[in-house]
Amino acid sequence: MASADKLINTYVPEKDVFALHFLQSLSNLRTQNPLNSPDKSIDRVRKIKKAAYVSMARAAGGTSRLWSRALLRRAAKDDNKSVRFSRRKRKVTWKISSKRKRSNQRAPVVEEAAERLRNLVPGGGGMETSKLMEETAHYIKCLSMQVKVMQCLVDGLSPK
Amino acid sequence: MDNELFMNTEFPTPPEMATHFEHQPSSSSAMMLNWALMDPTPHQDSSFLWEKSTEQQQQQSIFDSALSSLVSSPTPSNSNFSGGGGDGFLIRELIGKLGNIGSNNNNSGEIYGTPMSRSASCYATPMSSPPPPTNSNSQMMMNRTTPLTEFSADPGFAERAARFSCFGSRSFNGRTNTNLPINNGNNMVNNSGKLTRVSSTPALKALVSPEVTPGGEFSRKRKSVPKGKSKENPISTASPSPSFSKTAEKNGGKGGSKSSEEKGGKRRREEEDDEEEEGEGEGNKSNNTKPPEPPKDYIHVRARRGQATDSHSLAERVRREKIGERMKLLQDLVPGCNKVTGKALMLDEIINYVQSLQRQVEFLSMKLSSVNDTRLDFNVDALVSKDVMIPSSNNRLHEEGLQSKSSSHHHQQQLNIYNNNSQLLPNISSNNMMLQSPMNSLETSTLARSFTHLPTLTQFTDSISQV
Repeated sequence: MASADKLINTYVPEKDVFALHFLQSLSNLRTQNPLNSPDKSIDRVRKIKKAAYVSMARAAGGTSRLWSRALLRRAAKDDNKSVRFSRRKRKVTWKISSKRKRSNQRAPVVEEAAERLRNLVPGGGGMETSKLMEETAHYIKCLSMQVKVMQCLVDGLSPK
Repeated sequence: MDNELFMNTEFPTPPEMATHFEHQPSSSSAMMLNWALMDPTPHQDSSFLWEKSTEQQQQQSIFDSALSSLVSSPTPSNSNFSGGGGDGFLIRELIGKLGNIGSNNNNSGEIYGTPMSRSASCYATPMSSPPPPTNSNSQMMMNRTTPLTEFSADPGFAERAARFSCFGSRSFNGRTNTNLPINNGNNMVNNSGKLTRVSSTPALKALVSPEVTPGGEFSRKRKSVPKGKSKENPISTASPSPSFSKTAEKNGGKGGSKSSEEKGGKRRREEEDDEEEEGEGEGNKSNNTKPPEPPKDYIHVRARRGQATDSHSLAERVRREKIGERMKLLQDLVPGCNKVTGKALMLDEIINYVQSLQRQVEFLSMKLSSVNDTRLDFNVDALVSKDVMIPSSNNRLHEEGLQSKSSSHHHQQQLNIYNNNSQLLPNISSNNMMLQSPMNSLETSTLARSFTHLPTLTQFTDSISQV
């Protein structure tokens, strides 16, 4: 990896952490629906997908990452649950980010791509471009880890 | 913009003045004399005019033509002076001297040498006694000192002259101070002593200017630096500008602008807010000509050669570089991005990759939902025993449903499914999921528990299919 990693922290836990969290969430799903057959499979799919994202967010570092925080908040809002966040160590730099957005001298090419990224990455709306790219890097790592876990699970559980 | 360093507020633009000279010779001469005699504020004008005219050839030519017009113009200018007919000659000499100072084609290092401008061949003798080319000075000097006394007794004149000579530094940069009549001037009368002060400043400047390293963006600041460094008192009115540029120099040339401090402060805030990992001395970028400064409290960014030294543009540049760094980071993450060059394409690739990952998650969850209807009944609690350390997951959330339920429900569940606790997850780990260590600890722990075995994966699936 580039030496920039020393400055930009993109540490992602091992796969088993993800696996653990995901399996936990799946089993919880299981217990939530003892009838094993909700009305539509789409709901189940959606639930599993949401469980996957939530477990990924939790495995990847809980509330210490911007994207995971936004993801969890979004999920909690849907379920009408409350998410307790740990205290942020850094102070919120709204002033700077708003100042930066005001000056539209940024490279428009980069900025429109950043807009698209913001729509994709959870919590991207409040970040400026450099922070966004950090979060994207971490998000990509976690996503790929989660995909691997799920793939393994599916392979393991699918009929031979 | 560079001239603004020297600029006091209200100045007539030099072309105006110069053309004014050109068109109206008689009044121009009167004006020039008025310079000599008037108050300090217009003197500033005049000095500024001189300075401007020295810098720009075109204006200098205008000036020279004005000079020549002066020279050729007869005596109406003399009426302002007390003294005799030598006044016109005096004036001519003076003006010639001043023109000499301003001209880039000085013959020697002397200012007071032959006051020869291009059109001033009629100027015979210098005022003070440097080693002159013509030696008929003594008489002339005697003659001239008296009116010169009166003329230069004007306090503003020396000031102006001094200032002017300082402004004429461009011509003296390559010169040493060999011929400058400092000592000689001091031997002279009071007034010529004043005049020699004018000469000494270029001496100092000639001394100082080779020391000042000419950076691309610092070249204009050279003028005012010796000004600040010179010990001349009459150079007071222009002191704001040398102090300005001096502090700019003293900042180590950081950014080359006054706002470097604020920019540095702002940069520090930005840096600290954005990345706490980056050290404080991080933003030091070396110029072409100077070595990088040691890190201080602020993160200093130096303007590169040929680039704007605006604080905004510097901040932009730093930000661009930050973004570029992260792009490189992302490039390593996204497979197949190595071939792509350029930010736009790479960003497109990254966006595509993120989208593809998200689609994969959705697809796999669909698959899981279809596959795992009945197959997900395994004891997660077995996986999450109290002895198992979950590395680096900071679960400070209290969202319902994940932790409490898992602890409550799974004690009694499906013990019959598990044959061998070491085989379920290691089978999964055969697909590179490393759960060995939790499983090892589980072996010891689950023996104490109610269930004794976990199935192999194949056994697991078989048993589930039987259910």
